[in-house]
Amino acid sequence: MHGMAEIARPRPLERRGLAFAATGIGCLALLLMTVWMMPAVPGPAEQAERLRSILLWQSLMPRALLAVLAGAALGLSGALLQHVLRNPIADASTLGIASGAQLALTVALALWPALLVLPREMIAFSGGFLSLAVVLGLSWRRQLDPVTVALSGMIVTMIASALSVAIILARGEYVMSIFIWGSGSLSQQDWSGVLSLVPRLIFGVIATVLLMRPLRVMSLDDSAARSLGVAIHATRLAVLALAVWLAASVTAIVGVIGFLGLAAPAIARYRGARTTGEIAFGAAIAGGLLLFSADSLMQILGPGFSDLAPAGAATALFGGPLLLLLLPRVRSTLGLKTATAVPLRRLRRPETGLALLAVGLILLFALTLTLGVSDDGLVMSAGPAFTELLPFRLPRLLAAGGAGAMLAAAGLVMQRITGNPLASPEVLGVSAGAGAGLTVALFVVAFPSLPVMLGSMAGGALLTFLMMMALMARSGFSAERVLLAGVAAGALGMALVSLVLAQGDMRSYILLLWISGSTNRVGAMEAAITIGALVLLTAPLFFLGRWLALLPLGPDVARSVGLPVAGTRLLLALLAALLTAAGSFVAGPLSLTGLVAPHLARMSGFRRPGHQLAAALMIGAGLLVAADWLSRLVIYPYQIPLGLFSALISGPYLLWLLGRKSDG
Amino acid sequence: MTGASTSLTRRQMLAALTAGLAVPGRAHAAASVSPRVATLDWALLETLLAIGANVVAGAELRQFRQVAVEPHVPVGVTDLGLRGLPNFEALHHARPELIFNSNFYAANEPVLARIAPVETHSIYLPGTSPFALAVEATRAIGERLELSAGTAMIEALAAQLDRQRRALSSGDGRPVLPINLGDARHFRVFGSDSMFGEVLARLGLANAWTGPTAYTATAPIGIETLATMPDAWGLLIPPHPADAIGTLETSAFWNALPQVREGRVLILGPVNPYGALPAAGRFADLLTEGLTRAWNG
Repeated sequence: MHGMAEIARPRPLERRGLAFAATGIGCLALLLMTVWMMPAVPGPAEQAERLRSILLWQSLMPRALLAVLAGAALGLSGALLQHVLRNPIADASTLGIASGAQLALTVALALWPALLVLPREMIAFSGGFLSLAVVLGLSWRRQLDPVTVALSGMIVTMIASALSVAIILARGEYVMSIFIWGSGSLSQQDWSGVLSLVPRLIFGVIATVLLMRPLRVMSLDDSAARSLGVAIHATRLAVLALAVWLAASVTAIVGVIGFLGLAAPAIARYRGARTTGEIAFGAAIAGGLLLFSADSLMQILGPGFSDLAPAGAATALFGGPLLLLLLPRVRSTLGLKTATAVPLRRLRRPETGLALLAVGLILLFALTLTLGVSDDGLVMSAGPAFTELLPFRLPRLLAAGGAGAMLAAAGLVMQRITGNPLASPEVLGVSAGAGAGLTVALFVVAFPSLPVMLGSMAGGALLTFLMMMALMARSGFSAERVLLAGVAAGALGMALVSLVLAQGDMRSYILLLWISGSTNRVGAMEAAITIGALVLLTAPLFFLGRWLALLPLGPDVARSVGLPVAGTRLLLALLAALLTAAGSFVAGPLSLTGLVAPHLARMSGFRRPGHQLAAALMIGAGLLVAADWLSRLVIYPYQIPLGLFSALISGPYLLWLLGRKSDG
Repeated sequence: MTGASTSLTRRQMLAALTAGLAVPGRAHAAASVSPRVATLDWALLETLLAIGANVVAGAELRQFRQVAVEPHVPVGVTDLGLRGLPNFEALHHARPELIFNSNFYAANEPVLARIAPVETHSIYLPGTSPFALAVEATRAIGERLELSAGTAMIEALAAQLDRQRRALSSGDGRPVLPINLGDARHFRVFGSDSMFGEVLARLGLANAWTGPTAYTATAPIGIETLATMPDAWGLLIPPHPADAIGTLETSAFWNALPQVREGRVLILGPVNPYGALPAAGRFADLLTEGLTRAWNG
């Protein structure tokens, strides 16, 4: 991280000052523009004037100030987190703090309204801190290795989002505020938000100043710092608590503002901030200005008093590309090891293993097909009762299994192309890219047909994956860069999706169903298409075993044995994108199957591409078949969508895996 | 006028609606003849319940009882789970003989058709009047099930709205803004093309919202928009989030609004915004009762 400080080209101080002045003037112009564009208030002149001044002083001004303050708090929080964790990709979003806070508030709002007697901020803080504790607890023994931290954070975020969406769905359309709040609306009607944030920010700034010396010393390694008399763990904990508290306060007041804590310190560094203090306060200023500009633009571009989009979704839109732009300029000296580069056992007789897996899958399928719940409890159906239920059960189980297998194959191909065992549709943002494609289709055609939806999803997935590959190629495929870019691309895709969700119309409903990954209305035709796509898209992979074996060794090795690297990669990328699109069309973007299934296959000892592919396909299918069965069992007659349910069972497994690995 | 007469009309209407069902023996007779019906759509569910059809299954009944409140859902009706995620096996076990469906759940039709014949009646279609479609659907369903309560309900509602329009005509002539709070800072509005908007028009009241709306859920709108309609009556239609009203009452902006300072904000009982005629009647009742009481202090 201190390594990162040296990267940005040094700039003369006066030029930096000039840039800040220019940005300040730009923001002032934006503020004047929002005032000037305020809609007229009807009615008698005197009353209109009074209301106009109320609007100006109780709504517009507190909102502008709150944007600056919230942005500053998030920027500061992000800089502190990045510094103390020595992790350039730490941020309230990537560490699961924001989604943990959101989940806690969702639970309070939807399930236990009695909890709302507590201040929102306290609820949000508990949720955020709990998430962070899980993330850090899992990566503690790996010395908070940034990749492990980011991966744990991403998984915690997915679990929390899955739970939130499940609660929203279960409560029907009436939890609209969670939508608004989840996407971070800055709309204000008085100064209470500002008044509650000002003292917190002042406290945060003072605490940062007081902690500056230990913070600076912590830039050295732990033993050096200890020898200088700094209580490492106590300082770390204090700084972490401060950062979470700042982020949770913002979340409680205005909701989740995606990405700001990640972007702000990056901007500060890019603008030439180098010392710990410069980065921390530079990030605060950059965060404030960024959020203010984003929110003003949303106000100016929206009709009347309506915003074009909530600011939180907008910052993710701006933040994602910004970070991708900054990425090549940020040169890390961290030298990350890939989190899973642990020697694994190898199966002596993989064919027997595959046969066992196949038998297991068939048994599972038979069980889930016959065993179900009715009002009388668990019932094993046979004979005519079974034939009657078959049309309801068979298509959805086939579709779930097919989707699981396709996501598993997509994950495996991505891991092989990138040589990175963490690559998967979820981590690389490719599922979110498919979502962005679907969003675009919904905008262009009001009610797109199945082929249009699938095509646009495949297009979005392919575009995202190619972008990821281009970035990885430029950055020498470092695991850290891949993750950072994946987080950015994923956030960008989901930002597009939540923009549409915030519109609250029929398109949001379609998207919400897609995110939840529901197999409920799958009929014979959808099932047949899924299985057809599975066969069509995975069959070529079995003939490409040599490519899949060589590509992870790096382009030079692959080229030296005569593999046309660029063409091979492109073809495989196309297959992976199609697999992602088709798989996530059924199971949604959150299922985590693309990460878990190839992982399980590797862990079980299937090493050769052909064996690993076959194992991953069966494990992926089995995972989603089991998830689909359980999802309609646990709260009968109510059901949990497949994708969410799968995220809820795969996520903890992945977390457990990360935690366990830290022992070895 | 009016407090008394309006509450009477409400009872009259309910009496008219349940005329054929009030006598236990007749209700039983109707149930045994009438086919077993089911639906995923709440607007159709309330229509079926109100005309005394033999309903065996409906979706999301826990929420329905809280949001729609009336008509009452008998205990024996099977809950099918979420409307967006109905449990077809549960529906299959309920053995309906006829399923009523709407455009909202059209994607489920192939699966529904495996269980029983499906008839579609849509009430919320872009660019068409939900009230007219609700009348049409009620009449068609009544005829299909041979229940005269369908036509009776249409006539009773028309008479009720007529009476209430006359009762309201001597009011203050201010426009009315029906809204549903999302949180303390946002609400959604119901424009002229919504069911609430149509009831307002039939009651001779002006809808204060003239901006664009969609026939289905509209994008959340900031509370500050209320300042641009200082003359209107604000109608808050629950369900509202737990802490929204409490937060509003302490908000300086909210308390500075002319509507709030002059006591022109009414909180009605919960009404399903995407309902059919029973919801329309319930809204008209609650609104007339609230407005007349407010006008008379």
